[in-house]
Amino acid sequence: MRHALIASFLVCLGAAGAAQVTDKDLLSPDPNDFLLYSGTYDSQRHSPLKQINTSNVANLQAKWIFHMTGAKDLEGPPIVYKGMMYVGQYNRVHALDAATGRLIWEHMRQPPSVGWQRGIGIYGDMVYMVAQDSALVALDRRTGNPIWEARPSQQGKRFQGPMPFAAKGLVIMSGSGQGGGFIEAFDAKTGQSKWTWNTIPKPGEPGSETWAGDSWRNGGGPVWVSGSYDPQLNLIYWGTGQPTPDFVGDNREGDNLYTDSIVALDIDTGKMKWHFQNTPHDVHDWDSNEMPVLIDAPYNGQMRKLLLQANRNGIYYILDRTDGKFLRGVPFVSKVDWLSGLSPEGRPILTPGHEPTVQGSKTCPSTAGATNWPSPAYSPDTKLFYLIAQEGCGITYRSTTNFRPGQGGSGTAYMESGEDQERWQLYVRAIDALTGKKVWDYEQVSSFHYGPGLLSTSGGLIFAPEQQGMFTVLDAKSGKVLWNFNTGALITSAPSTYMVDGHQYIALTSFSNVIAFALPDAK
Amino acid sequence: MIRNAVRPLWLVFVSCVFLSGITLAAQRGGGPPTSGAKVHPAIGNREAIAEGEKLYNETCTSCHGKDGTGGELGPPVAAQNRRYLRRTDAELFDAVKNGITGTQMPPFSSQFNDDQLWKITAYVFGLRGTAIDTPASGNVAGGEAIFWGKGNCGSCHMIKAKGGILGPDLSSLAGTRKVQNIVDALTKEKHKIAADGGTHDTTLLPMTSYQPVRVTTKDGKVVSGILKNEDSFSLQVLGKDDLNIYRFKRGDVQVYYDPNSLMPHDWDKRLTASEFQDLLAFLTRLYMPPPPPPPARGGGGAPVA
Repeated sequence: MRHALIASFLVCLGAAGAAQVTDKDLLSPDPNDFLLYSGTYDSQRHSPLKQINTSNVANLQAKWIFHMTGAKDLEGPPIVYKGMMYVGQYNRVHALDAATGRLIWEHMRQPPSVGWQRGIGIYGDMVYMVAQDSALVALDRRTGNPIWEARPSQQGKRFQGPMPFAAKGLVIMSGSGQGGGFIEAFDAKTGQSKWTWNTIPKPGEPGSETWAGDSWRNGGGPVWVSGSYDPQLNLIYWGTGQPTPDFVGDNREGDNLYTDSIVALDIDTGKMKWHFQNTPHDVHDWDSNEMPVLIDAPYNGQMRKLLLQANRNGIYYILDRTDGKFLRGVPFVSKVDWLSGLSPEGRPILTPGHEPTVQGSKTCPSTAGATNWPSPAYSPDTKLFYLIAQEGCGITYRSTTNFRPGQGGSGTAYMESGEDQERWQLYVRAIDALTGKKVWDYEQVSSFHYGPGLLSTSGGLIFAPEQQGMFTVLDAKSGKVLWNFNTGALITSAPSTYMVDGHQYIALTSFSNVIAFALPDAK
Repeated sequence: MIRNAVRPLWLVFVSCVFLSGITLAAQRGGGPPTSGAKVHPAIGNREAIAEGEKLYNETCTSCHGKDGTGGELGPPVAAQNRRYLRRTDAELFDAVKNGITGTQMPPFSSQFNDDQLWKITAYVFGLRGTAIDTPASGNVAGGEAIFWGKGNCGSCHMIKAKGGILGPDLSSLAGTRKVQNIVDALTKEKHKIAADGGTHDTTLLPMTSYQPVRVTTKDGKVVSGILKNEDSFSLQVLGKDDLNIYRFKRGDVQVYYDPNSLMPHDWDKRLTASEFQDLLAFLTRLYMPPPPPPPARGGGGAPVA
């Protein structure tokens, strides 16, 4: 009997193993799967699944836990395809039965690593792991057998930790290194490099005039989170990081393109179609790596293809994603003091006194950001944009010494403001997607730094893990708490949802564990 | 009122008060006292430390943060209450020079010569030093008498199993705090601030805020005490009067977060200058050495099956 059960189990898995993740799967995903970092190419992190909903979520139960021995600070959402789950970080992948948490295979690369990395990509019959020695590694998704490895094609560059992004025959990776950040696309089947786009233009290239002298050599513009994709426009949308040195701007006069920008690249060629710089000449390390969310909606009476981004600098941006035109920018935290407004083109109008100093200068929001890489969500049901907002201010310091071009370095650092009213505090915040107006707030008591990402479902729910270990479910309309569970460990990732055998699951990585939840009847 | 932010263990102390008679000059450290141990001449050398700080600020802060408190890519290299694998000056030097295999810590041997690498090492080593490495001068026995007597410190603080439990146990205060942190705790209302910048938090830790709270239950019962932990759903409180641990559901109670610490912060006025100095001499010598390493396996122990 036991052997018969095992045999039938293997048959089921075998059936799943024969399938491949196709472009069609990625373009219109089966809601039973969770194939991408943000769930779908539009990065809404919204699932149409609604078996778990406002009426029954109070009965949600933990179904299984998988412990990744030696791992910590897991930042990647579980990826699920036809009942198989893939979790990992640098140098490790575990393939699990998504209904039971039982290990099917694992791939461990030496040396063991605990570095921050945002999970495992999937495409065709491969999964894609990032190695800490800056390799993109393709593995057979049924066995974990290594298929190919690729490295950045430019000398001196290294991959950072985004989840490999699969689209249109490519796996897209990014990182930084000498001379600045880059995005590079590889042939998904062979690992051959197809194109590279660099965030910092070289002399003579458009944008190079925004770097005084040879300050472009400082680099910057690291790309450490993946982005979004519009198949109709054939464009990918990625955010870029801060210029170098982070907190000293006087040796790099100019806007320092294309740092702190949202860029739209042609997916076939890597050529930039447009850019929008959120924070020109940044001296507060306000990376624009926050996830761009794509929605189509009527805006001022006209149907438009929009790009939404809650930026680390405290402003919620609405752009037209066909051409990058700025439509709206409003603060989404209570105190944004470094600007007095935005120009019609979306350029910040600076207020004086916020340049970092040796003694420290105060700026709201802090460098930790009014939000950061933890993913937002958008619900087409409520038309609300949900994000992790960090209230509070910071003190930013600069170095007493000058920088040597090309040597990197940040130029010192930042801290939380010591004033009670300016302490860091995290909230789940729902804002009207088209106006940026706050609709509700949920205070994540005790959580005050970065925080995990969000998931919206058509069950009327926002799945909102908290930095300090609580997994909380909120009513998408009101922000009311409907369920909570203490995972017992720090959470720095966003949840995923999927269906197996007719049961909806919610899965989450928490520090070194993967935990799956479902309703009681999921046995 | 706004809820006072409660912070885990790695709170950093930053304000500086410089009292006459306290010498912070000889920055040494790295955990246990190093007196007598042979160290590189750059260690504790003020000029070397100052130059090391410059090099550190140019090169290391983007990963390890200002003052070694942790950055966006790397761990803190000088956090309080953190156990380090690399403790000696030579081990630290090796990490800076040759990098750490299996991590993102690169070697800096091509960027700096050994002299510069030692200066960086001396700076980081100095950041790690605590009061036991530079104890304040004064009458230690007199300070102990003030602690248990005039100061009444023992009503809230415990030292080696004697004393109260509302405040932190001070048995190894000098092994975990710098002299100036201790001075600040005695003299400044706000002697601690804030989370440091780019730290990626790595673990859940018990709160050490000693935040005073007054909790009122629905039936009118009042519990005053110290907040041990809280989230959006519950609070854990050490009762001030009966020293019991209470657990409350947030929805069942009203909570007042008292902005004033139970710890008085005017000890430089309550005590004479020499009494204060004596107390400091006592406090900066409170130290419990780390336990010895576990005995090696085999070689005389019971046979292992």
